[in-house]
Amino acid sequence: MNTLTVKNLRKTFKNVVAVDNVSFTVKKGEIFGLLGVNGAGKTTTINILAGLLQQDAGTVSILGSDPAKENEIRNKMNVSTAYFPLSDVLTIRQNLRIYAKLYGVQNPEEKINELLETFELTHLAEARIERLSSGEATRTALCKGLINDPEVLLLDECTVGLDPDIAEKTRQAIKAYHERTQCTILFTSHYMYEVEELCERIAFMEAGKIVTIASAEELKKTIKKHTVEVTVKNHPEKLHALLEEKSITVLHAKQNTIIFEVDWEDEKLYKTLNNIFTKGFHLTNLHVQKPTLDDIFITMARRKK
Amino acid sequence: MKLHRINALLLKYYYISINRVDRIFDIFYWPIIDLFVWGFTSAFIENISEYNVLSMLLGGIMLWMFVWRGSQDIAVYVLEDFWSRSLYHVFSSPLTIHEHMSSIMLLALLRGIASFVFLALAAFLLYQFNILSISPLFLAISVFILTLLGWIMGLFVTSLVFIFGKRIQVLAWSVVWIVQPFSCVFYPLSAVPAWAQPIAKALPTTHVFENLRALLNGSAVQYGQLLYAFGVELVLLFVVMYLLKWSFLRAKKTGLLARAY
Repeated sequence: MNTLTVKNLRKTFKNVVAVDNVSFTVKKGEIFGLLGVNGAGKTTTINILAGLLQQDAGTVSILGSDPAKENEIRNKMNVSTAYFPLSDVLTIRQNLRIYAKLYGVQNPEEKINELLETFELTHLAEARIERLSSGEATRTALCKGLINDPEVLLLDECTVGLDPDIAEKTRQAIKAYHERTQCTILFTSHYMYEVEELCERIAFMEAGKIVTIASAEELKKTIKKHTVEVTVKNHPEKLHALLEEKSITVLHAKQNTIIFEVDWEDEKLYKTLNNIFTKGFHLTNLHVQKPTLDDIFITMARRKK
Repeated sequence: MKLHRINALLLKYYYISINRVDRIFDIFYWPIIDLFVWGFTSAFIENISEYNVLSMLLGGIMLWMFVWRGSQDIAVYVLEDFWSRSLYHVFSSPLTIHEHMSSIMLLALLRGIASFVFLALAAFLLYQFNILSISPLFLAISVFILTLLGWIMGLFVTSLVFIFGKRIQVLAWSVVWIVQPFSCVFYPLSAVPAWAQPIAKALPTTHVFENLRALLNGSAVQYGQLLYAFGVELVLLFVVMYLLKWSFLRAKKTGLLARAY
């Protein structure tokens, strides 16, 4: 059963097409990632889903309703972003009390204390947002995002500015929340490892369009090249010549180390390595690097340019 | 409309008020400055004139304050959300624009009453002027008409903010003063130049202040004029509510709510 359905969504700003005929569905309890370079249309999509932006065309359905038309459905959802802090002249606790009231939360103080503890903000509860570090403000925005135990959670680059330790704890908190509530999460991030760790499926956006929707593993298979680093004890020039003879792209060669790219398909990787071994090269180091989501991201970004 | 959401925003304005001294300060500061300036001026004029200038001017200051508070508070508290970029969170919640505006209008009324009570006490202590000695019915109707006009102007500026963003924020403080010279707050309609009289007569405020002066001079209140003022405001309220709804939808199309600058 789909909790979130987006059909033929389109949004333009003057002459710029921000979202172009985007369609996707997110199943109940799924963590779905939106990935893409800056300006790909991720945030515009999230803003439309949050009811903050009106699309030019297309439909949105969250839990069976359009949040732009039916305000009450927003009681069951929430949004968190690192880019919009809460009211900066108010303290963390004051802000959370206001949003608890807005969302009609039962036992608000209990909920606020629980969230402050989860995100390690208890000692800052009475501090104003304007005095917080960006990481602390981001964690506060996450507390607000979870204040109403949403069934649908929109997280737009919610870990930007967090140091690695806190970012990891934040991811764990999101995971724990997801495991506990089985809520549906739409997640955008620039950190590929984060998307890979959290999301079951990923939609890759480019220039306002969804290029592909797949799991992280499936996405990585779209890049056929593996990177191989070989260090030989002697005659690196002979290895270089062998690779050129086989039309293999050498990326880097320095002293006895050569880095080259080779397709994993059609046993080309196996055949190349077999060739090196059978020619009697004495290897002192061999490292095969599979493509990562970063490689996908970079490939897509370069393709756009 | 859900009461708990209106209460949530009132709680927010309460927190802003206790966290920012300037928001408490302006309830008292400008009204008391006006009271001093106009009180001293009218005390001087009364010595060389037979008119009851003190009551007219102080009554005018106290009642005008409802227009000023209504207009400025609505616009400034909407701008507060722009300044703090919190419109994103406010309007991604279940809150409706009607609930948002209702909470700010209530806030403006409460702040207006606070300023009024403070001014009434100060005027009594400083000049022995008792505003409550004026007909309570007239006072209640006047406060209602003037507050409503303040709200209308505040909603008008809010609509412009939703269209043009913070670029036109100066209107939040200035729009009320465009109306004041033609509202005959401190002088009779007959003192207004002939070319400006039609403008003055069309304004609801003029009829409130003309009747205030009439009452202070012992004449009867022309309730028909107050009814006209209310009628004009109803039309203006209808127009401004339509403009607000249109500008809010436009802000959703242009992305202003998600940008908040």
